[in-house]
Amino acid sequence: MAPSHYSSGARTTHAEAILGPELNARLGDTKVLLVGAGGIGCELLKNIVLTGFGHITLLDLDTIDLSNLNRQFLFRKKDVKQSKAMVAAQTAAAFNPNVHIHPIHGNIKEPQFDISWFQSFDIVLNALDNLDARRHVNKMCMAAGVPLVESGTAGYLGQVEPLLKDRTECFDCVPKPTPKSFPVCTIRSTPSQPIHCIVWSKSYLLGQLFGEDEDATGELDDAEKEGENAQEIATLRKEAQAFNSVRQALRTPGAPDAAKLAFQKVFNSDIRNLLSMGDMWKSRSPPTVLDFDAIMDGSFSLQRSTAGPSNVNGNNAANGVASVNGAVVSGSKKTEQLLNGHGHANASMSSASSLKDQKRLSLRDSLDLFVSSTNRLAARLQAGEETISFDKDDDDTLDFVTAASNLRSAAYGIEDKTRWEIKEMAGNIIPAIATTNAIISGLIVLQALHLLRQSYTHLRNVHIQYKPTVPLSSTSLAPPNAACAVCRDTYSVLLCDPARARLGEVVEGLLGGSGREVSVYEEKRILSDPDFDDNNESTLESLNVGQGRFLTIVDEEGEYGTIGVAIGALPPNHPIDAPPFILPDPLPKPARKATPPPPATPPPAAGLKRSAPHDDDGIEEVEPSAKRTKTATDTETPSAPSNPFAAPLSSPSKRRRLEEDGLVLMEDKHDKLEDEDVIEID
Amino acid sequence: MPDSQTIESATTALATRTPQPDTKTRRYDRQLRLWAASGQAALESARVLVISGSATSTSILKNLVLPGIGHFTILDHERVSPADAGNNFFLEGQSSVGKFRAEEAVRLLRELNDGVEGKADTRIIEQVLDNDPAFITSFSLVIAHNLNENTVARIAKLLWEDETYPSFVVVRSSGFLAEFSIQFHEHTVIESHSETAPTLRIDKPFPALLEYANSLDFTNMDPTEHSHIPYVVILVRVLEDWKKSHNGAAPKTYEEKKEFKKTITAMKVKVDEENFDEAEAQAYRCWTESSVPSEIAALFQDPKAFSAASSSSSTSPFFALLAALRAFTVQHDPPQVLPLSATLPDMKSNTVNYVHLQTLYKKRAEEEKAQFKKYLALSGGAGIDDALIDSFVKNAHALKLLRGRQWTSVHSSAETLGNSMAMNSKHVSTHLALASLSSLQAKQADTKVTTEALTAEAATLLPSGLELPEEWDEAAGEIARSPNADLPNMAALLGGLVAQEVIKMITKQYVPINGYCVVDLIEMWTGVVG
Repeated sequence: MAPSHYSSGARTTHAEAILGPELNARLGDTKVLLVGAGGIGCELLKNIVLTGFGHITLLDLDTIDLSNLNRQFLFRKKDVKQSKAMVAAQTAAAFNPNVHIHPIHGNIKEPQFDISWFQSFDIVLNALDNLDARRHVNKMCMAAGVPLVESGTAGYLGQVEPLLKDRTECFDCVPKPTPKSFPVCTIRSTPSQPIHCIVWSKSYLLGQLFGEDEDATGELDDAEKEGENAQEIATLRKEAQAFNSVRQALRTPGAPDAAKLAFQKVFNSDIRNLLSMGDMWKSRSPPTVLDFDAIMDGSFSLQRSTAGPSNVNGNNAANGVASVNGAVVSGSKKTEQLLNGHGHANASMSSASSLKDQKRLSLRDSLDLFVSSTNRLAARLQAGEETISFDKDDDDTLDFVTAASNLRSAAYGIEDKTRWEIKEMAGNIIPAIATTNAIISGLIVLQALHLLRQSYTHLRNVHIQYKPTVPLSSTSLAPPNAACAVCRDTYSVLLCDPARARLGEVVEGLLGGSGREVSVYEEKRILSDPDFDDNNESTLESLNVGQGRFLTIVDEEGEYGTIGVAIGALPPNHPIDAPPFILPDPLPKPARKATPPPPATPPPAAGLKRSAPHDDDGIEEVEPSAKRTKTATDTETPSAPSNPFAAPLSSPSKRRRLEEDGLVLMEDKHDKLEDEDVIEID
Repeated sequence: MPDSQTIESATTALATRTPQPDTKTRRYDRQLRLWAASGQAALESARVLVISGSATSTSILKNLVLPGIGHFTILDHERVSPADAGNNFFLEGQSSVGKFRAEEAVRLLRELNDGVEGKADTRIIEQVLDNDPAFITSFSLVIAHNLNENTVARIAKLLWEDETYPSFVVVRSSGFLAEFSIQFHEHTVIESHSETAPTLRIDKPFPALLEYANSLDFTNMDPTEHSHIPYVVILVRVLEDWKKSHNGAAPKTYEEKKEFKKTITAMKVKVDEENFDEAEAQAYRCWTESSVPSEIAALFQDPKAFSAASSSSSTSPFFALLAALRAFTVQHDPPQVLPLSATLPDMKSNTVNYVHLQTLYKKRAEEEKAQFKKYLALSGGAGIDDALIDSFVKNAHALKLLRGRQWTSVHSSAETLGNSMAMNSKHVSTHLALASLSSLQAKQADTKVTTEALTAEAATLLPSGLELPEEWDEAAGEIARSPNADLPNMAALLGGLVAQEVIKMITKQYVPINGYCVVDLIEMWTGVVG
């Protein structure tokens, strides 16, 4: 680092020392994208304003909540419910008249934030709180070739990592812990832990009563394919269809006892139906049918003791929590440890039991809460709200989930949970404090300056840890993982009009007439392969491949690397009679591979909700991977994939045809159908 | 509802049926999940004095005001300079220039949280030391940033005079280098959040556990059931059978241990019984004796634990609890173990078996806690509330008792410094360079700081017998380059690090830094000297 003269206290001395005078002079012209205006975002915004960055784009989709104010210091009580990005920008801009802050109240995954938009920044700083957005920004930065600083905190722990394509690992080079998902039947008919009842209330019951009028049988179809108990599923199908009358009552002003009707259906008649299936209860204790009036008048008693704690995961409640929504804070091992229950105070919260929402609820309390929250939610529907989904900061939904999951727990003899605990488990809450965010944000700025100066030897992964002897540990960066399915791809940009450009011609053009055999994907959806050309004449738009999305072109023989093609908009002056797309110049040149690649890392499990918008258009979900991988794994022990449909065993189209015949393809002879009756505690 | 109300009174005042929390609990939700109501209460009763209104000082304070510290005072007689206005977020730019730094900073910091009391004091610290030392000792914690070293020494000496006086955090920063240390008399931690788990006592099974393990008929068991017996039970049983054929002794030699593991593997009825794999992996628990950890045994020797045992009115609950714990380990059967923990780790099992095992452990843990309480009543702890007893017993394997030392500019032990130098001479170089800078500037405020001047100063500071460490020139060079820079980003980071340790001290949760924590922001490392 070149010595430089400090004019003590001047705003930019800091940056000047790291950047050197020339780059420092350009700091005012540097364009920064800051994704997230939460705990880290507020701190970071203050730091980069003070450091002298001239152009800051700040994006956040969230609004301010009271629970943010213990750390997000750019917000005041009066700002609650306002846009985070807008308020943060206003507060911070006042400090430095020379800074231009452009706030955006929006979602980073929206299509207009495409590759060219990302390329307009010199550096991207992540201040995010969820895995999905982190992966998205990582991919966009890898494709755009823009340096990224990734970060995350959880309680006293935190980490920062600088990421740059071809030089360092990317966020997806190291597989992230996949969100835990539960077999459908465990959630819907045989829960054994509080988290099962919470997931049921939040993701199933709440939606059935107050959500969209959707056919909830899709996940049952999937479950049946995966080999869950057919008889049980048939019962669950009937159960799902019988929600209509309850939904009607909840939406009819003045309908008496809608809450009681809902209660009778799910805690009385549905349980009765389940009980009638004698086989199910041979090896497990049957649930108890709850009686609304008897609970109300105090004459109800549960037939068996629920005194014994049946929380199978014991101290590991946070484990379930951290993963139900898939929002794992970061890839840090230390952070994972915290998420796995090493760091939470709730285990030692005995002295906090006086807090109101940490009181144990009696069965009667839960019933009262069920009735009152159901009525509150029903009133909202009647007042014009179309659908209501779970939000941990929405008291009505949290009360409902608290009440419903405790009632279900009572019926199944499962330990109850307080509203405080349920909020954490259902809302995926990770403790967050000002100090950790301050440390992490300071480190992010330093990494950003090193990246801008291209002084790569100074880059470090830094972790905050518990060890009192080494509060910060820093490690040198690892090179990219050769098998990474995100940063090892060759990226390119295709400017086009998706309404007119057809898949076949676009792919042919991109391959430059080489005639290679390829499969083409969008995310996990297969669009074409050598045996499946039905979509070649379809426009990209009709295949839902618009601006901001990627075409992934995989070499069928695994001989060449994968090409990722970002879809961008045609320039405004593009002649109307010209072809509806502009090929990149030069054409993407994927590297020739020395050896066939190992199987791609599996995507995160889909969880309970179906995410595919395209069930009926001849498109299915598989992970992009070369066919050749099959031969590569013949002689090796294949790693067992969690999803039998993600198998690279054969061409997806063949697989689909077989499945239509009712066959389930197994990965190899070691695979078993899921036996959901076995509960594994690990 | 005002935020200044305590959590307890705010929540118990309204005895409504709905379980919804009040605004204050909502505001602090994310931190209450980390340090609980007990930590929050400690924070809210803390009074902090910060000397100087520098960018670093206000950064530290920001991180204490946000989580809701009870009170803070900034003591600073300086007025805002244009340089301050440029790098301190808690000043209002040019409009603050010329006003008292303390007053401007307090006003802006208070905006962060109306539940926090803040005061500006524009007296000169040296005069306060001369005329009003009781003012300084009235706080629960004192923080000083880049203060004249002679003044720091005076404050340190004052606060060292009495055990009840506040802890003292000394922060130094210069450009990209910084360090901080905490002078405290004694610091006890019950909730240390240790990563070591308490023993499961497989080698000394309690009667109900042994009975359960012996009652199982592994040979004629249903195969599904067989693959769901928790490893704890398998190990207890295999060890019991082993002892019968080995004169009551556990496996000792390498060969015996190998044979023991083979016995476990041989019990499998299917190759993929993971509970038996777990049992084999955890077999070491059979020959690792469950006993009082040596760190805890050392605490029993503390004079205060002895005096607590012999007096009926102990000053500190911690030592009464410690005395009771010692009595428990001596008199309980089996002897030399801590009260059983009710917490089981996760393991391969089915719900029924796991819950059964958990119930056995819980019941036994309750019985032992009841025993512990009897000893506690005898050691002056009759009035201690149950929540604290629960927490103490639960964390008995990881209790911490730290004894501090009086602040000195350079660590006063030649031996410790020498050892630190051998381990990481960069840490010591930076520590020494910052001390040399303070020392030089204490002699003459506007002295020209050069590498040579720093080197000469360091030679006088080093305990005899030690030579300057290897990386000395780089550290001294870095300081000479920018001796007085209080950089905004460094201030922000240091503010986070220092406040983090202050919160650990105040809440008595987690283990704080003990020694001089050195920070190098160019290479991005931290280390502790001492």
